[in-house]
Amino acid sequence: MKEATAPKIAWGWVALAAIFLAYPLVFQSAFFRDIGVLLLLAAISASAWNIVGGYAGQVSVGHGMFFGVGAYVPLMAFTHLGWPPLLGVPIAIVVVLILSVIVGMPTFRLQGHYFSMATLAVAELIRLLVGTWDFAGAAIGLSGPAIPRGWWDLTFTSELPYYYIFLGVLATLLLVTWQVQRSRFGYYMRAVKAGERAARSLGVPVRRTKLYALMLSAAFTSVAGSLYSIKTGFVDPESGFGILVSVQMLIIAALGGAGTLIGPLIGAIILIPLQTATNTWFGGGGSGLTYILYGGIIVLLARFEPGGLVELWNTYAPRRWRSGSHAP
Amino acid sequence: MLLLQVIVGGLLLGAIYALFSSGLTLIWGMMNFINFAHGEFVMLGMYAALLAAIWLGGGPAVFGFASLLALFVLGVVIYFSLIRHVVRGPMLAQILSTFGLALLLRYTAFWLFSANVVSMPETVLSGNLNVGGILVSVPQLIAGVIAAALTVAMHLLLTRTTIGSKLLAVAEDRNAAMLMGIRPDRMQALAWGLSAGSAGIAGALMAMSYPWSPSVGETFGLTAFVVVTFGGFGSVPGAMYAGLIIGLIQALSAYYLGPIYKDVVVYALFVALLWLRPQGLMGKA
Amino acid sequence: MLLEAKNVAKHFGEFRAVAAANLTVAEGDVIGLIGPNGAGKSTFFNCLAGDTEPTAGTILFDGQDVTTASTEAHARLGIGRTFQVPATFEDMSILENVMVGAFMRHPKRADAQAHAEKIIEMTGLKDQAHLRARSLGTPGRKRLEIARVLATGPRLMLLDEALAGLTPGELQQAIALVRRIHESGVTLVIVEHIMEVIMTLTARVLVFNQGRVIASGKPQDVVKDPVVIEAYLGHGHGKRARKRGPAA
Repeated sequence: MKEATAPKIAWGWVALAAIFLAYPLVFQSAFFRDIGVLLLLAAISASAWNIVGGYAGQVSVGHGMFFGVGAYVPLMAFTHLGWPPLLGVPIAIVVVLILSVIVGMPTFRLQGHYFSMATLAVAELIRLLVGTWDFAGAAIGLSGPAIPRGWWDLTFTSELPYYYIFLGVLATLLLVTWQVQRSRFGYYMRAVKAGERAARSLGVPVRRTKLYALMLSAAFTSVAGSLYSIKTGFVDPESGFGILVSVQMLIIAALGGAGTLIGPLIGAIILIPLQTATNTWFGGGGSGLTYILYGGIIVLLARFEPGGLVELWNTYAPRRWRSGSHAP
Repeated sequence: MLLLQVIVGGLLLGAIYALFSSGLTLIWGMMNFINFAHGEFVMLGMYAALLAAIWLGGGPAVFGFASLLALFVLGVVIYFSLIRHVVRGPMLAQILSTFGLALLLRYTAFWLFSANVVSMPETVLSGNLNVGGILVSVPQLIAGVIAAALTVAMHLLLTRTTIGSKLLAVAEDRNAAMLMGIRPDRMQALAWGLSAGSAGIAGALMAMSYPWSPSVGETFGLTAFVVVTFGGFGSVPGAMYAGLIIGLIQALSAYYLGPIYKDVVVYALFVALLWLRPQGLMGKA
Repeated sequence: MLLEAKNVAKHFGEFRAVAAANLTVAEGDVIGLIGPNGAGKSTFFNCLAGDTEPTAGTILFDGQDVTTASTEAHARLGIGRTFQVPATFEDMSILENVMVGAFMRHPKRADAQAHAEKIIEMTGLKDQAHLRARSLGTPGRKRLEIARVLATGPRLMLLDEALAGLTPGELQQAIALVRRIHESGVTLVIVEHIMEVIMTLTARVLVFNQGRVIASGKPQDVVKDPVVIEAYLGHGHGKRARKRGPAA
């Protein structure tokens, strides 16, 4: 029966891609395009988190540390070396890989809670340090190129180029995730999430699997951060490393369905417009209310359906619409 | 002399850390569960104390007890409505449950109390004592001593009373405890009440000397993580020693490096701990 | 000798779970480990599987010292085990569960899937291959565990009460499956309480009591050993058996 649904799933993705490709051409106002860009960025971050948090089941609540590094390094390269921020992106990736090892190596041999606690502590640690570090702009933050020196500075006045760049990155990330999920590494990640002790008894290198998952996730999260700071042309300790950055990644992935390919995208499609709405309607108090809402959603997810909307769908949707235990 | 003052201040604050961290380690040891909202319990204890001081008047005894009671009830309610359902589920659900709760409590507090920094109204307990050349603030001294006493009381409760041994029995072997007629659900609810209550009263004690806003919960939560990791999984005596040491380290860091660094050093210590001795002072490897 | 355990002991603080246990397993053997609950056989079993490190003694697998080797290393060397309480990957399908095992010796997905499908066919799980492990009952989960570890291509399989809780029909099927596995060349060490399994499948049995091996030999001899009877039924019964003599 699974083989019969595979083409259906493929067509679903094609339809989705078509919608996303056409969206900014249909909705041409800056407002709608801006939401689109925000949505894509959120989907990228959440999908990156999903690799280690959803598939491998290692719940990071401090993923903002990788996002922040990705956001800061390109702007540091520009501010201090005059480089196009784009060149800072691979450097940021190297930094987050090292950070992953620092956080993951000691904690992955212990119970899962230690890893989660460590991500929270290290993200906060970095946020505080960066806030005092003049090289990184201290509390004020850093800016990107105000006037573009060429296309490579990626400072566009219209949202359109950003939209398609982000879409391209999201597509790449999802493709990579799909390939990984089908590979031995992907199965091992899921086995680690499903039962470490049993996984070990089958020869799964548990600690190494967790670490590689974290490193892959961190690299993509760093790219998301870079996209953010390149697009907005600015970053500060709160927008780079703040807890709300980590929260957003986590809630979007979990709401949609942690450990599924489409989950984070669904979460973004639901939450980003919602967030924009509550922020607009409630004005200044809006952002506070948004996070009360986020807290509530996370608690409800945890209590009733940790598998998110995808799981909910699989449980209650009519048989022929279900996607099987996991995508092939 | 100033250094000595810093040390004493650090130890007194550390005693309060020990008090609320002992609640966290109790839950961890008993249910293998980490409460990411524990710092928010402390923060709510601070606000409960403020409200009690304003509405009921009276001194530390009144608002201390109010915080203890309010948070005890909150802890039990949270256990029955949320924790009980996720504790044997997947790790994602466990961590999200209290992490989401932390956000909920924190931002509700922001909404109710605004982000303004507040402090307790002046009471009889103010001013400083000169103890052999060291200036110690009276509320700090009283808070620290009471916190230390309560932490010891928690330890005694767990190890010397019947109810304590029932709690430990459930921690040790839930099924065996059930066969002995102990009801694990009730014991775990009690543990949550004690845990939240200890955080609440720690908050009330801290409120006596320090101003705060809803954002302090985040820092206290992380501090509690470091203290319980340093002290050792499930060990209340460990939390006691670790709390004092962390309070001391924090005070010294602020003194030598500057106030921003007081938390930075503690978090960095946490990472070092994970690399070198994750079982902490009193834990098993 | 495929597996040799020499003077293996495991202490938990003061408590001696296992004291000086010896075992030799030749390639192709089927060995049974029996004994009352709490006798130490599960702890010993976990030492063999690499889940627990012995306090003393050595364990050699195919001449290699594996006493302190990790669980993963054990698996890769060819020692597979099932769990007393099945630890299947609940939210993954049966096929995916078995593929995790298959991936150990078949790094490429297509090969792993083909191998897993073969094992699933052999263990009679073909019709449920795409169902989640969660949807199986305990007997199904036990069978899945066996299939999953079989997919790792082990030379030695440690089965921990893998046949418990089955109906008589299911038990016969399970015994047949275990026999098929043995015939395919896998050496077996089986922990069991069910006498029928021990009698029909094993060639040699070790009896544990209070951490020590109190008897070993052919199953039909061991069950009549007064020492063994005493261990299970308590004092007095042993004496009576001794009086009756070996012909009983």
